[in-house]
Amino acid sequence: MNERIEHLKRRMLDEERFASIEQAKIITRIYQENEDRSIAKKRALALKAALEEMEISIDPEELIVGNRTSGVRAGVVFPESGCSWVNREFEELPTRPQDRFSVHPEDIQQFRELIYPYWSHRSMEEGIREEYGEELKKISRVVKINQTDHAQGHICPDVETWLHKGPAVIRQEVKARLYMVKEGEEREFYECVLLVLDGAITYIQRYANKANRMSIDIPEHRDTLSMVAKNCRNLISRPAQHYWEALQSIWFLFVILQMESNASSFSPGRMDQYLYPYYKQDLRDGILNQEQALGLMECLWLKFNQIVYMRNRNSAKYFAGFPIGFNIALGGKDEAGNDTANEVSFICLKAQEEIGLPQPNLSVRLHTNSPHEFAQKAIEVVAKGSGMPQFFNDEAVIEPFQRDLGISKEDAYNYAIVGCVELTTSGNTLGWSDAAMFNLCKALELALNHGVDEITGEQLCEDFGGLDTYQSYEELEEGLRKVIDYYIEEMMKAEEVLEKAHQNYLPSAFLSCVIQDCISRGVDVTRGGAKYNFSGIQMIQVANLADSLEAIRKLVFEEREIDAKELLDALRADFKGYEILQAKLLNKAPKYGNDIPEVDNIGAKWAEYFRNRMKEYRNYRGGPVHTGMYTVSAHVPMGENVGASADGRNSGTPLADGGMSPSYGRDMHGPTAVLKSVSRLPESLTTNGGLLNMKFLPEFFDTEEGRNKFEQFLRAFVDLKIPHIQFNVVRKEDLLAAKEHPEQYRSLTVRVAGYTAYFVELDGKLQDEIIRRTAYASI
Amino acid sequence: MPASDKALVFDIKRFAVHDGDGIRTTVFFKGCPLHCIWCQNPEGIRADRQVMYLKTRCIHCKTCENKAFGHQLTWVRDDPELNHKYYGTFDNLVKACPSGAIQYDSTAMTMEEILERIRDDKVFYRDNGGVTFSGGEPLQQGEFLIELLKRCKEEGIHTAIETSLCAPTELVMEAAPYLDQIFADMKFYNPQDHQKYTGADNRIIRYNIKMLLESEAKNRVTIRTPLIPTITALETNIRAIASYISSINPDVTYELLNYNDLAGAKYPMVGMTFGMPDNTRRFKAHEMKKYYKAAMDGGVRNLITETQVKGGK
Repeated sequence: MNERIEHLKRRMLDEERFASIEQAKIITRIYQENEDRSIAKKRALALKAALEEMEISIDPEELIVGNRTSGVRAGVVFPESGCSWVNREFEELPTRPQDRFSVHPEDIQQFRELIYPYWSHRSMEEGIREEYGEELKKISRVVKINQTDHAQGHICPDVETWLHKGPAVIRQEVKARLYMVKEGEEREFYECVLLVLDGAITYIQRYANKANRMSIDIPEHRDTLSMVAKNCRNLISRPAQHYWEALQSIWFLFVILQMESNASSFSPGRMDQYLYPYYKQDLRDGILNQEQALGLMECLWLKFNQIVYMRNRNSAKYFAGFPIGFNIALGGKDEAGNDTANEVSFICLKAQEEIGLPQPNLSVRLHTNSPHEFAQKAIEVVAKGSGMPQFFNDEAVIEPFQRDLGISKEDAYNYAIVGCVELTTSGNTLGWSDAAMFNLCKALELALNHGVDEITGEQLCEDFGGLDTYQSYEELEEGLRKVIDYYIEEMMKAEEVLEKAHQNYLPSAFLSCVIQDCISRGVDVTRGGAKYNFSGIQMIQVANLADSLEAIRKLVFEEREIDAKELLDALRADFKGYEILQAKLLNKAPKYGNDIPEVDNIGAKWAEYFRNRMKEYRNYRGGPVHTGMYTVSAHVPMGENVGASADGRNSGTPLADGGMSPSYGRDMHGPTAVLKSVSRLPESLTTNGGLLNMKFLPEFFDTEEGRNKFEQFLRAFVDLKIPHIQFNVVRKEDLLAAKEHPEQYRSLTVRVAGYTAYFVELDGKLQDEIIRRTAYASI
Repeated sequence: MPASDKALVFDIKRFAVHDGDGIRTTVFFKGCPLHCIWCQNPEGIRADRQVMYLKTRCIHCKTCENKAFGHQLTWVRDDPELNHKYYGTFDNLVKACPSGAIQYDSTAMTMEEILERIRDDKVFYRDNGGVTFSGGEPLQQGEFLIELLKRCKEEGIHTAIETSLCAPTELVMEAAPYLDQIFADMKFYNPQDHQKYTGADNRIIRYNIKMLLESEAKNRVTIRTPLIPTITALETNIRAIASYISSINPDVTYELLNYNDLAGAKYPMVGMTFGMPDNTRRFKAHEMKKYYKAAMDGGVRNLITETQVKGGK
């Protein structure tokens, strides 16, 4: 890491993080000035105004510029999607348990006087609450519907087209189309696109001007600042032509996408693929060397850490560490089966190795023919302990993408990842990948307990039976099926309401420019303009479900070791006074994660049942609904909501983490057994993404022999067709020390779930969780 | 069914990455002709099945006290004290114990059952991983082992053994052709020391080492010495061993294993007492150097210095 990067990194981490209402004020003003216009138009005008007016800043040492606020890592208040939570929680932002932001007191006052009164009845959040709030609340213990107060995000835009055309050329093309369309929604759509592109061009111009001025004012940085100014100037009128310009262009794209949507997870996707031609050409032309290429990449890497996503208190619990999900996918096979990793892939790995911050969320695509050198470089970076890269498996993704989702061969091979682990094509999908989380463990609780919430005693759904009335294990499964069916029905109704609300409140003209087919069809991305339109439901949590069902099947119905009525009483009492029974549940029944087919298959069976039910539905945009198995950090709050379970888990304690991982401490036969168990979950279950966490101690990576064995482990992972795996490589002492002396460990990152966060910025409870995760040290 | 149809196995460890090349599954056979005072697998010494008490798992529910027959156990303060001299089985207690704190230390397994466990991780073995037979002394159940080795080779599974070589020479030589890696201990050069600390003479071991190092298997053999502070870890001992083995085969591979200071952990579980002082610590890297030097002074050319043996079973 060179000196410039060190300076930039330190300044960024030292800068205080504030909540910002600057854009909210602009948006509010534009809406008020344009009351008679459509929401789509108002939104386009508001984005344009923000791009023209927001205060901008440049660090004189930056080589890549641009941010959506003048300060870094600001928490942007975004009223169109919803800000009632800001109204409720503004004062506690600096002190809340997770993801804190400093607050200027005058901002609170302005927010309450100028912003909130206007939006309190106009935001999407309010609209949804009015129309469907009761229903959402009613199902919320089992189904958590996401994106009720913010834009969807989770999109891999068509960066390649953006680079090849740039805003000016896209603008010309849209203008030509506008000429052909005289009226209606399509015309308005094109008008909105032109507005936001005008804004984008002005925005880039402003950076060019600012850099130019600074190059005069700050002579010691004149050379680089005038290059920055030149890059920006070029990007106004023509597409990127060089590597540096391409990086700058990519960053402007993501900043503007964030300014439009303020959403989690706009992901660059296969950056090594689309950057390589620029890199190769500049190298050939002698205007770039490898060291410069790395330095520029590291500047972009820092940029990825300057945008964070401020969530409400509760959501911050589910997605702790404000993950913003700039996911980059490296390598992967082409249709001929050859690996596509190139020099830029190695530069990206090197940048991650040196910078070691939570963003971007770096992913490596592995497959049967992944080259040894590439795998080894990735392993070296994993060994550094930032939890990255995470690994995806082409052999578990490409085929099910075509078979189960009807994705074309070309698009399937070109898959990428958004956010944490959500799978997508590149540049032509609205995946709606975080549609909802379905708590299968809570469903089982209701099936065992006559539809009554074990924690609160409320009747949540119809009484389909209980553990004390089922005569056989089959009857119990039938009861579970009925509970699941009921909540699926309710969930899909809610999803439709949600999608309509997004169409009405959050049409996204700028995003539509960079999702294939939206422009050619003249349809906004929220209305189904994308080539592919999916919805993804997360199934939570197969490990606890399988372990609970197997314990009941074996100990209650098969061996009669435990009496059904007594078990029900024990669960209701959270095992108080039933410690012996709890010990039996824990120790006398096999557990998922130990390569025991009987129990693993129970998990697979129910996940498949759920997945197959999804085939009966189409989403509101007309696309298929599919499933994923990842929880991000939601296994903690989701677990808080589930009473004692028959796997021996106490009420309110976390569920298994990850999504495909076994419950903590239940996997007694090491990592190979875990992989074998996970491999029993068919790939079709995780076309929306799966997540498997593992933790290795760093000694494992100390020797070349250890790293080679690790590679063999990864190659077996590929052969077992598991979609995803990621590794935390940290010492327990490091974590304990970091908890004790956070000020000394500010840049220590850990893998939380599908993303990496600063360890010291996590809630203490979550820190303890991470410390407890099973460690596979030496054997 | 005759006893030889089953082997007594006290553990099968998957993802064993310190017991040979690649990713391996290690099968631990019960029973050992030696009883080294530093042994880290005390449950592997006796050839018969024993009952164990795992204190950390116990929830002190006293279920065992209620289910116990006659002299099976006495309850001392918070813990059951199992009577290891009890005549009959402990099936009743093992079954009743809800937490798994009372367990047998081993399982009698058929050849097919063991093979099935070995096959479980076949996808991880790749080019050079496979199965390692350890113990105890795997050659104690030699006929069974040789049959098992043949079956593994038929299935293309890479095989390794960790052995004391305290076994009949015919068995050793019969097993050797089916082994891809042989890790053989030579703890002492001097027979009296060997007798004193392991309970057996080492002349048969020395002879077996000689036979192996002169056989066609010689390039697949690694001789190992565990460095036990003040006992085997003496430069004179290391030099003598090195000189002996290199005089037979100058290209012999020799490895010095650092002391495992967690070795004592399992003794209380099986009602045994650990013979080493508690404060015995493993050697630091710089302390190992003099032993490396002694080995090279003794004439060893292929010395493994990097490997750190950790944990053991």
